[in-house]
Amino acid sequence: MSSDKVLTFTPPTVEAIADIARPLSRAERIWNQALVRKGFILLLLAVLWQLYARQLNNPLIFPTFSESVVALWQAFVHGELGSRVQTSLTILLSGYAIGIVLATLLAALANGTRLGNDLLEVLTAMFNPLPAIALLPLALLWFGLGNGSITFVLVHAVLWPVALSTHSGFASISPTIRMVGRNYGLTGMQFVLQILIPAAFPAILTGLKNGWAFAWRTLIAAELVFGVSSGSGGIGWFIYENKNQLEIAYVFAGLLTVIAIGVAMDSLFRLVEQRTVNRWGMKY
Amino acid sequence: MVTAVSPLLDVRDVTLQYKTSEQLVTATWKVSFQADRSDRLVLLGPSGCGKSTLLKAIGGYLTPAEGAITLEGKPVRGPGPDRVMVFQETEQLLPWKTVKQNVAFALIASGRASRQDAADQAMNAIRTVKLEKFADAYPHTLSGGMKQRVAIARCLAMKPDIVLMDEPFAALDALTRQQMQEELLELWDRSKFTLIFVTHSIEEAILLGNRVVLLSPHPGQVKEILEVNLDDPDNRFYGCYDQLRDTINRVLFKDVGDYVI
Repeated sequence: MSSDKVLTFTPPTVEAIADIARPLSRAERIWNQALVRKGFILLLLAVLWQLYARQLNNPLIFPTFSESVVALWQAFVHGELGSRVQTSLTILLSGYAIGIVLATLLAALANGTRLGNDLLEVLTAMFNPLPAIALLPLALLWFGLGNGSITFVLVHAVLWPVALSTHSGFASISPTIRMVGRNYGLTGMQFVLQILIPAAFPAILTGLKNGWAFAWRTLIAAELVFGVSSGSGGIGWFIYENKNQLEIAYVFAGLLTVIAIGVAMDSLFRLVEQRTVNRWGMKY
Repeated sequence: MVTAVSPLLDVRDVTLQYKTSEQLVTATWKVSFQADRSDRLVLLGPSGCGKSTLLKAIGGYLTPAEGAITLEGKPVRGPGPDRVMVFQETEQLLPWKTVKQNVAFALIASGRASRQDAADQAMNAIRTVKLEKFADAYPHTLSGGMKQRVAIARCLAMKPDIVLMDEPFAALDALTRQQMQEELLELWDRSKFTLIFVTHSIEEAILLGNRVVLLSPHPGQVKEILEVNLDDPDNRFYGCYDQLRDTINRVLFKDVGDYVI
């Protein structure tokens, strides 16, 4: 009886249900792009800014969006903003690089020995909560007015968060992965480079992001405090200088540049994340 | 003193101890057994018998508190590529490397092959476990059984003196486990590697081993060493299998009251 039923069973035709797959309309597909939606929000903010500033009509306090964009263009093409950005980024990258190398060495030492582990924990507990900018007066005393002082506070800003997250990343690596590495004869620095760092990469990447954010804020703040040195200031100095000359549109141009670089770096980190952690299926 | 035929692996009176944060635990007590070339030796026992700890000691991750482990007459000191381990955890593959890179990495890191040769040898090894279609896949996209196959391929590509397997199929579903056991035996038929296999499954022990070391727990001690000759065509019938299983059950559980299992 039941076999009869199976034999005579006919599935309902597709038309009777609905479309199997209907392509989305063009508008739906465009709106599905996150970039489009975010661009729309930016546009909205720019329009609001423009309307409010126009209504305020006081370029000394709050210039319009269009004035700021023109100032940005002028500062880049005819002015010195390009070289200011270069100065800031050069010093930032050197501080960032030194901080990362030191953090890696410290974390590797902590991974190898118990005393190293304690050293890292004590140092990060002490220095991680200490704002880098608070060290600036001391840095000025030790290294004088110049890049040395800024590099010192930058290294301080990067070193501790990166060391801390690298350390916790190393600590969470499964014993199995460690045994695999040692099974194939890896020891010392090779073990750190080929096993520990990639295995802890999700945590390390988080540390690098935090380190970058701390360093970037510290740099701009430090430049605002003592600005120009050896004839070339950074973006912070650019902002400070234009504020003194009441070129407020240029102040906004400087701030927009700071924001733009921050957003660009964020996208870069996102790209790295997609190419590594996401592709490897390593969640953190 | 030189004996005529010295065993490949000699575990002699090995006592293993490890420290937890509170106590010193004796995992095995004066354990002795030998493995010859091409043996498939199974360490079988309930949890707490120290079989995994014993395997780690052969792997060189632990130093015996007493006794000696020698491989071809040389004492084992530290981990090395002459004894490759396959673990139970599927996380033993490096997630940031593809299947092929995982195998090639082992060959390069251990100095078994140059960068160019490693790729070819890795592909050959992957073919023996029938995963050539997945050579460029990352481990997280593979099923548990496939991951274990890659781990076995990585191990065999190394051509180690001894293959050490720590319950490699325990985390797999029953059907996959059965298939993997058969495939492991096929691989053994092909290259006759020496295998030390840890399990707590009596069926698995009889199926895979030609020699089964029965261990009792707390601390791990050798109860008996059984020769399994299911390989012998005359012996391949169920009666023999059942008889063996009963023997093992009896040996392992005759004074079961003494243990907490």
